[in-house]
Amino acid sequence: MEHVEAQQHPIGLYLKVWLLLFVLSTMSYMVDYLEFQSYLRWFLILLFMILKAGLIVAVFMHMSWERLALKCAILLPPLALLIFIGLMTMEADFTFIVRSIFFGQ
Amino acid sequence: MAHVPYQEALPLHEPKSFWTRYVWSQDHKVIAIQYTLTAVAVGLVALVMSWLMRLQIGFPGSFSFIDPSTYYQLVTMHGMIMVIYLLTAIFLGGFGNFLIPLMVGARDMVFPFVNMLSYWAYLLSVLVLMASFFVPGGPTGAGWTLYPPQAILPGTPGSDSGIVLMLVSLILFIVAATMGGLNYVTTVIQARTYGMTMMRLPLSVWGIFMATILALLAFPALFVGGVMMLFDRLLGSSFFMPAVVSMGKMLDYQGGSPVLFQHIFWFFGHPEVYIVALPAFGIVSDIISTHARKNIFGYRIMVWAIVSIGVLSFIVWAHHMYVSGMNPYFGFFFAITTLIIAVPTAIKVYNWVLTLWQGNIHMTVPMLFAVAFVSTFTIGGITGLFLGNVVIDLPLSDTYFVVAHFHMVMGVSPILVVFGGIYHWFPKITGRMLNDTLGQIHFWLTFLGTYAIYFPMHYLGFIGMPRRYYAYEGYQFIPESAQDLNVFITISALMVGAAQFIFLYNLAWSAFKGKPAGSNPWNATTLEWQTPDTPPSHGNWGDRLPIVYRWAYDYSVPGAEKDFIPQNQPPAGENPGGAATT
Amino acid sequence: MVQNSSEQHRPLTVPEEWRSGVHNRLTEISTDWSSDQDAFKNVPWGKAMMWIFLVSDTFIFTCFLTGYMTVRMSTTEPWPVPSEVFALTIAGHHIPLILIAIMTFILITSSGTMAMAVNFGYRRERHKTALLMLATALFGASFVGMQAFEWTKLIVEEGVRPWGNPMGAAQFGSTFFMITGFHGLHVSIGVIYLSTVAFKVWRGDYQSRGYEIVEIAGLYWHFVDLVWVFIFAFFYLW
Repeated sequence: MEHVEAQQHPIGLYLKVWLLLFVLSTMSYMVDYLEFQSYLRWFLILLFMILKAGLIVAVFMHMSWERLALKCAILLPPLALLIFIGLMTMEADFTFIVRSIFFGQ
Repeated sequence: MAHVPYQEALPLHEPKSFWTRYVWSQDHKVIAIQYTLTAVAVGLVALVMSWLMRLQIGFPGSFSFIDPSTYYQLVTMHGMIMVIYLLTAIFLGGFGNFLIPLMVGARDMVFPFVNMLSYWAYLLSVLVLMASFFVPGGPTGAGWTLYPPQAILPGTPGSDSGIVLMLVSLILFIVAATMGGLNYVTTVIQARTYGMTMMRLPLSVWGIFMATILALLAFPALFVGGVMMLFDRLLGSSFFMPAVVSMGKMLDYQGGSPVLFQHIFWFFGHPEVYIVALPAFGIVSDIISTHARKNIFGYRIMVWAIVSIGVLSFIVWAHHMYVSGMNPYFGFFFAITTLIIAVPTAIKVYNWVLTLWQGNIHMTVPMLFAVAFVSTFTIGGITGLFLGNVVIDLPLSDTYFVVAHFHMVMGVSPILVVFGGIYHWFPKITGRMLNDTLGQIHFWLTFLGTYAIYFPMHYLGFIGMPRRYYAYEGYQFIPESAQDLNVFITISALMVGAAQFIFLYNLAWSAFKGKPAGSNPWNATTLEWQTPDTPPSHGNWGDRLPIVYRWAYDYSVPGAEKDFIPQNQPPAGENPGGAATT
Repeated sequence: MVQNSSEQHRPLTVPEEWRSGVHNRLTEISTDWSSDQDAFKNVPWGKAMMWIFLVSDTFIFTCFLTGYMTVRMSTTEPWPVPSEVFALTIAGHHIPLILIAIMTFILITSSGTMAMAVNFGYRRERHKTALLMLATALFGASFVGMQAFEWTKLIVEEGVRPWGNPMGAAQFGSTFFMITGFHGLHVSIGVIYLSTVAFKVWRGDYQSRGYEIVEIAGLYWHFVDLVWVFIFAFFYLW
């Protein structure tokens, strides 16, 4: 069956990605161990997180070998969540301000 | 590897025993009927509840068994059952299950076993919900939106176990809807028959398909809200619970945010409106086109309207929360998105009307319901524009104007389509026609009664009559005469409710004694009317799947022999019928 | 690999020389979605269904994490420092987050073995596949075991409860138990699922039907790992 042919990848690729995931996990752990703080910390956490997530989805979940139709159908809907998250950050900020004012009296 | 030919070649395993054929059935048609009957049964409970509520409002104090707690329980259960357990279940589980495989030309859903599990999980969720009527304290009376903190505080009816059963039942329902929904979406995407492209799908399939996608993406939010509220109720956490003094006692809750629940709930709740509305849009398009013997006006734009409504529905949720105390800047954003979503919706209404324009209109019962839907939906939609604007919403919020609005737009309108759809497809489901006279009586009582109920309600809202009140005596700002309207509404509601029993009688009678329908009584083009057997047998299509040559709306094609050309009829020579396709 | 499989579906009307990269991709996606039978070419039904389920599950986890974000951002109480709460003292050394780091490595290891299992599945080496899947399940089970240890330590030693804790904001405990609990539930279900499939693979049930089931189970497992990446970043490191 064609599907079988399509899914034969060299094992070496998996091993490389595997190794890379280990390295990235170690680096994100080091962010905490070396006690980076504030924006540098958040930037590094997000960077390593996105790299790891991208590798898992692209290689382990075979997304990079899928056709564009599937990629779009799977990756576009979560954009709705980004709007939700963005608005909830604003909402949480507002709640915090209201609480600070109220409790500060 | 194409999977459709593979499916076609599989031998059919027709279930032999009564149990596997009608009870533990994996056939999408039987599951559809199971879903529909369960939804109708639970809907009847909610109908009786609305009677009791109206009796209390129309004749306050005359019924000693309706005390304030009971009244709130009636309000809550009526809303919850109607929105989730009736409308969502009947559109996705009932119509979706029956129509999708037949309309796309598949033998069944892609995973019939999961489909069967979906029904049983749904039935379990209904049973859990019904069980809450029999526990101490009764069902929850928190309002169908279940807003904390009051939903789980002592003093609210059903705060002991009613609310817990409610949340558990919702979680079960979400599991059921997910299992079913995965099937519907995968079937539409991956199991269409030869020649059936996405742009040849009937709009019913498009509406149900998009609504199912919304269900798969929106129900997670309700799931999360439900789990978090269960944590608050059972484990004493404080996600949604601020420090509260309840009945003179300081509770242990601290630091939670009730508005967070409202955001999570409405992130589900607004798409839910379209989960109910989009299938109705689709089904109405098909009914209007078939019974006006005219192709649907602007098919492509109808499809894109459905898609864009689906997408936009995820960024309008907080228009339900203008008075909640959320970030005040949100009003601007959500008012704009709410008004934008009116554009594709209005396009759909124009297209329905333009489809009727100069059509060969047959005023059959399904057509009556479809046209009635266009009318009620327009009224309900326009009042929605009022409420979508912050400044107008503020005084109207929590009045009967809101009640009238959402009953028009997502109560009455989808229910009219459910009726229209049942009158339309009943001949295919049972092989017999529904009785026309009874259908006419049912329609006119329901349609006129609806306006009698909800038109006056808008006025009550304008004079400021608040919703969710047990009784309205002694409020200075409500004139005495408002009570006359309330009595009028109550009597109308009783009559509309009674009319539904005519419909049930018609269903039962016609299923056995109705006029035999033949395979295609409406002369419709779509695939479900072209099955070799009526009602369709297991596997739907016999040995070979149908081959589709044209779109679903070849009605009154100039030069054609008949006034309709079925989707699976091959183009004959220079037959121009195929020209409009792709 | 994309181009050669698109050829068989529908002849493209666009002249060959116009087909630049972007145009090519756009043509590919519109051809797929406007074709008959299936929009996801070469994708079995089960795999399509698993992908759609995972999107739905993404929404669940994101809503959980968004709820967590909101309560953490809006609380006026101090938020306990995860790096200290989850520290362990091993052989006299006080090491922050060490157990969580080990759990992360275990889950990544299991993802690696799972990817191997999928690969061997398509090579039809069923015993290797089954063994690798079983290894994956064992890693998963040990992850759940460590999570149980972590919960016990937190509840018994640190006094963290869903309704409060000695270190600060009450929501710390409730979000922690809810999110890691729901993730742990996914891991546990995955262990059962993988073991079942591994058993059937070993028995040779899929010799005739093909080994797509391994990839489908793998998708689920990688997703569980994926979610942990986000939980690790947002809950433990932030």
